[in-house]
Amino acid sequence: MASEPATAVELEEEQRLVEEAQAGNLDAMRPILERYASPLYGTVILPRLGDAANAEDVLRDTLATAVEKIKRFTWQGKSIYPWLRQIAINKVYDVHRHSKRSKRLADAMAHEMAVETDPTSHADALLMADQERTAHRERIDDTMGQLQDRYRTAIELRLIQELSREECAKRLGVTIGTFDVLLFRAVRAFRKHFGEA
Amino acid sequence: MTTNDDSQNELHPNAPVPEPLDEASPSERARAKAFADIVDKAITGRAPAVMSADDRALLEVATVIRAANGQAELSATAQRSIVEDALRQAIGDSIANTSGQLGVIPIGSARKKWVPWALTGASTAIAAAAMLVLWLRAPETRVVHETTAQTPTSWTSRPADPLIGPIARENAGDASARIDYLFADRLEGYRDRRLSGRSGGKKR
Repeated sequence: MASEPATAVELEEEQRLVEEAQAGNLDAMRPILERYASPLYGTVILPRLGDAANAEDVLRDTLATAVEKIKRFTWQGKSIYPWLRQIAINKVYDVHRHSKRSKRLADAMAHEMAVETDPTSHADALLMADQERTAHRERIDDTMGQLQDRYRTAIELRLIQELSREECAKRLGVTIGTFDVLLFRAVRAFRKHFGEA
Repeated sequence: MTTNDDSQNELHPNAPVPEPLDEASPSERARAKAFADIVDKAITGRAPAVMSADDRALLEVATVIRAANGQAELSATAQRSIVEDALRQAIGDSIANTSGQLGVIPIGSARKKWVPWALTGASTAIAAAAMLVLWLRAPETRVVHETTAQTPTSWTSRPADPLIGPIARENAGDASARIDYLFADRLEGYRDRRLSGRSGGKKR
């Protein structure tokens, strides 16, 4: 879904809210948090963590930190979103550092972090979120391209199209038990390739 | 020969993934079924909190795939709750930090603490004034001398004691017989009074 670019009016409103929060009315941050919570979760945090419950905790910490440190933010005529995004990425890496379990995902993201673009160069927050989602999707597609056809189909049907197991099995002409094995192997194979993509 | 240990090894995260058409061992089928159930729940937003480390790692991969395709969005309810929690956490911490650094209560908070006391004082004063007004305007106490009208003796019932006499303990249960006796006596007096045309009734 493509996002509409932020208008000048929206940016002015965002600036007014930020200045109000910096003057001491922290509740002025509420509309900003409500606007950016979803893109932060869906395109920054969850794709880097893979755990919905953890991702919600990280989002909560990110927003709380943003409110606490709003006085440190300097308005430069751009959206506040890149600043929020950077806080979120730092929080995600804190989680990865404390969790050996998710090391593989962290390793997979290492390359991405090395080529991180200058967040202040993005003028529009939601457009930036869309670009980020597209980048993730391309990365997923690259990995999918390395899988065997049957594994790729199993992932597409069940995880992307979200068809039921029965429907997936029917489309592949196998029993549900066999489809379960196919999906299990497909995700394992994806995991192996993901770190190398 | 395939042993249980071999089965475990083939499912090890670092073990090579079998080809799609390779026959699955019973243990792999069981693991695949368990993982499929977890995926079912994750897709409906009810991912189980407890699962093996391997299953969790695979679920994370599945979630990354779904998130990249926009299939794992934050619900509106969850978003509202998270924003509220974050604001409460941040604003609460901010006030705590300010108080800790300065050692004083913020002026705004201090002012607010007078409000309940002011309300209580005002309502007490109003109640006291109302009681004073009521006391000053209280009507004079009027003493009512009640007079009891004397009932003519002929209108009152005759005492039943002379008629019944002392009740012996062994006859205490015969109350109905005594009532019948009294009723018959009263009926006789009534008839005597009505039929004779006298107003006094039976002589006592």
